[in-house]
Amino acid sequence: MAKVTVDGRVVEVPNDANALEACRAAGVDVPHFCYHPRLSIVGQCRMCMVEVEGVPKIQASCTVPVRDGMVIKASTEKALAARNATMEFLLINHPLDCPICDQAGECKLQDNAFAAGLPVSRTSEPRRQFPGYDRTPIGPHVIADMTRCIQCTRCIRFCEEITETGELTFIERGGHTIVWTHEGKALDNDLSACAADVCPVGALTTRDFRFRKRVWWLDKTRSVCDGCEIGCNISIEHRDRIVYRFLPRVAPAVNDFWMCDYGRFRSEELNRQDFLKPEIRVAGGDAERRQTNWGEALDAVKAAIEKDPSKVRVIGSAFLTTEEAWLLAALCKDSLKVGSPEFTVDIGPKRRIRNKVDGWIYGSEAAPNSRGCEAAGLTRTSSLSSSSPAVLYISDASFSEKCKDPAFVAGLRQASVLIVHARTRNALTDAADIVLPVAPLSGKEGTFVNAKGLVQRIDTAIVSPPVVRTDLEVLLNLGARWNAFDTQWTARDVFEKMQASVAGYAGLAWDSDALVGNPPSISPAAAYDVLGLERDPGVEVFSRPSVTAPDRLP
Amino acid sequence: MSGLSPAPPVLLARIGKPNSVSLDSYVADGGYASWKKVLEGVKGGEWTPAKVTDMVKASGLRGRGGAGFPCGMKWTFVPTKEKRGDKPVYLLCNADESEPGTFKDRLLIEKDPHQILEGMMLASFALDVKHAYIYIRGEMVHGAEILDKAVAEAHEKGFLGTDVLGSGVDLTITVHRGAGAYICGEETALIESLEGKRGHPRIKPPFPAVSGAWGCPTVVNNVETLSCVKHIVDRGAEWFKGVGRNEKNTGPKLYCVSGHVEKPGVYEAPTGIPWEELLALAGGVRGGRKLKAVIPGGSSAPMLTAAEIAGVPMDFDGLVAAKSMFGSAGIIVMDETTDIPKAVTNIAKFYAHESCGQCTPCREGTPWLLKMLRRIVNGEGKKSDLDLLLQISNQMGNGMTICVFSDAAIAPVISGITKFRGEFEAYIEKSTKPEFEQKAPTDLTNEIADRKAAGIHS
Repeated sequence: MAKVTVDGRVVEVPNDANALEACRAAGVDVPHFCYHPRLSIVGQCRMCMVEVEGVPKIQASCTVPVRDGMVIKASTEKALAARNATMEFLLINHPLDCPICDQAGECKLQDNAFAAGLPVSRTSEPRRQFPGYDRTPIGPHVIADMTRCIQCTRCIRFCEEITETGELTFIERGGHTIVWTHEGKALDNDLSACAADVCPVGALTTRDFRFRKRVWWLDKTRSVCDGCEIGCNISIEHRDRIVYRFLPRVAPAVNDFWMCDYGRFRSEELNRQDFLKPEIRVAGGDAERRQTNWGEALDAVKAAIEKDPSKVRVIGSAFLTTEEAWLLAALCKDSLKVGSPEFTVDIGPKRRIRNKVDGWIYGSEAAPNSRGCEAAGLTRTSSLSSSSPAVLYISDASFSEKCKDPAFVAGLRQASVLIVHARTRNALTDAADIVLPVAPLSGKEGTFVNAKGLVQRIDTAIVSPPVVRTDLEVLLNLGARWNAFDTQWTARDVFEKMQASVAGYAGLAWDSDALVGNPPSISPAAAYDVLGLERDPGVEVFSRPSVTAPDRLP
Repeated sequence: MSGLSPAPPVLLARIGKPNSVSLDSYVADGGYASWKKVLEGVKGGEWTPAKVTDMVKASGLRGRGGAGFPCGMKWTFVPTKEKRGDKPVYLLCNADESEPGTFKDRLLIEKDPHQILEGMMLASFALDVKHAYIYIRGEMVHGAEILDKAVAEAHEKGFLGTDVLGSGVDLTITVHRGAGAYICGEETALIESLEGKRGHPRIKPPFPAVSGAWGCPTVVNNVETLSCVKHIVDRGAEWFKGVGRNEKNTGPKLYCVSGHVEKPGVYEAPTGIPWEELLALAGGVRGGRKLKAVIPGGSSAPMLTAAEIAGVPMDFDGLVAAKSMFGSAGIIVMDETTDIPKAVTNIAKFYAHESCGQCTPCREGTPWLLKMLRRIVNGEGKKSDLDLLLQISNQMGNGMTICVFSDAAIAPVISGITKFRGEFEAYIEKSTKPEFEQKAPTDLTNEIADRKAAGIHS
């Protein structure tokens, strides 16, 4: 560890840290563009200029390795003048059209222009244009606009160092330098949209989110991607009950700063809600289902089950939170006495994500919580047995891709009463007798256990429409009919009740950082822990008042 | 191209001889004698790498590429065998001569390639190099062909290869052509380019001597420097020291004199000859006109007025004392007919074109300077332009960028405007758009101060 003084504040940082990290550790916000904690140091944006005692020339702090006793002066006249200079250079050719740029609001250039820029421009020369290289898709998910590019090369380094696919490169040189794909190649890899994440300006934006919402209107909720078993930490970004996008949340042990395109673009899917009210078919056979209320629907479920409890079969799903799975298992075991529910998980396609601790980690199960479900008492089967029970209760109807397959559904339909939790319509819901409308990931609260065995919490982003319930609420209300559960229980109550009996949950606290993960936006001071830097507890960490908007890290 | 020299030339001795590029003619003129001498002395311990290094150190040879760093000292920065382990050491000959006003290396390459090769062989021996590279500028197609041929000949005749002349020394030389970028003459950019990447200068430290090509210790020396090494081993360090005009600037030096002189060309003269002697060698200012200004070290050196350069010794220290630099000794002479604003614009155009685009101040600053200068010489200048040009220049240099390219780019602008401000102002007075005025930079400064006082500026 090296003891470094930044603007009079002493911090201890690892010996391999650089001066910029030391500044951030000390709570001194040194603006930067090209530095990224997971990418190599290039020191070429020249924004993070500071003075280092004993070094005559001004230094780009990201390029200066710390040493014990180093004294960094980050806020001297000379340092501020140097940063002003860099800002001025960046802005002479950058279009000043933030109002029509989709990056506005989360743009580092915009933030730093407020913090370190000149109030007016001194240039009167015509601005540089890149005809043919503006607003052009360079891959399935990313649109490039080179007039906005500040040539920080983060995206190039991302493609070289993280995905190791190297689609992007510098073309031309000097003032004409542009970042583009290699001839005939597209920016098409499984993490391609992260290139837009690392872009500090509006040069790379995602096609799917572009111009859909001004980012400052977005609410951000912590969640976990349900695309596969890896369980990438995400921020669900939503407004007025519409999910606009997923962004990765920094999780050094899981997805680090990244997430895959497949997971990211599942966000749109969350806006689909095919069932807004319970639907029921009382007569059986060909009669149409009709909409009803929850009381009648759940009473009908209870009546069907109680007809012949021995012939009830329950199928869960690895999309359930552990809390929901535990309720389902408890209901089956204690109230219905039908033994433990089964569940099955789709295998493949393989997903992957990279972090600094494990390198690449892979997920082959196409659901987020098979481990949690098993721990909560559900039984994993590779193929569902084709017994024909009197009642088949499925939570939920999208547990497998096979549910879209009429042949597979025909097997399940052999039950005399088919009850499903469902959000989206598929072959299985079409065949069902009772459909209980449930909320998507964005409406749920609870915990998932990922491929590494980490318990991770998801929060409710959007409260579902009035008559739609979460799986948890449906199970609580159903269980209440056997006096098994209290309908007032929250996910947290269930979590605390099941903790003792569920493997891996003992000793965890609902609100602990380990469960919750990092917030969607990380202030430079909080980034301390993300970077794995130790803070000297005896030293008070200041946070300078800053006019910058709270930014995503980095 | 070569001209008369005050003493019998050494570096240029074989220029102009028939078939000077062939190995046979080189050997006939006593070439490769030093290489043979050293190799024969290896087994007996008469010649050791340290001995060659010490000779070069004692000679006081300073790098001829531009920085003037003592060559022997540079060699000693290479970690010892114990420290570097299995890592090989690479010697790179910097033949990426691109500095405007400089054309000495090209002459050596095209007319006497074996002299360079022998210098490289001796340097490789001193540094325990098994594989040396010549990085030659992309535009020098003819030079690359000659070097290729020379290397092939040297391999064929056994001066290169494995177990050279039975001494147990292995050495291969490869000629690598650049793609034509000025910045690749910067040693770390040269290394990047050699590795097959874009020629972007690296962050230092680590310096190439510790971690250079492919992460191995690497020494980058200029063509002329390596040629000097051959002559130092030939004739001894004392001889070399004796040639220079002062203690710190030793040996013969090639001066590239261009511009408004009677006989432009490459002149070999002792390092440190006074300006007047050099000008006399080149036949004086053309047509008997008056001297106006001199760029003494390639386009990146600040220009000196006729008064400033009078009596200055043309060497590394003399020109630094005159607030310019010796650089690559590319001396551009400008007589009284020269339009300085146009000359500065021309140089600015070069730098705007050649900036690698890595660092913001240089990438954005060099075209900005050019746009403003062009506007001024096109008769659309504004009164505030000159101060702004100086201010922009000042915020580009002095550590604001990874390499010294931007320092080079601003030198002619700053020196041109400060020393010939009247000429720029004459253009601005005739400006067709004088009404196109902007806030003066001083107002800006006040505005920033106001913002700060109000607590807006963090």
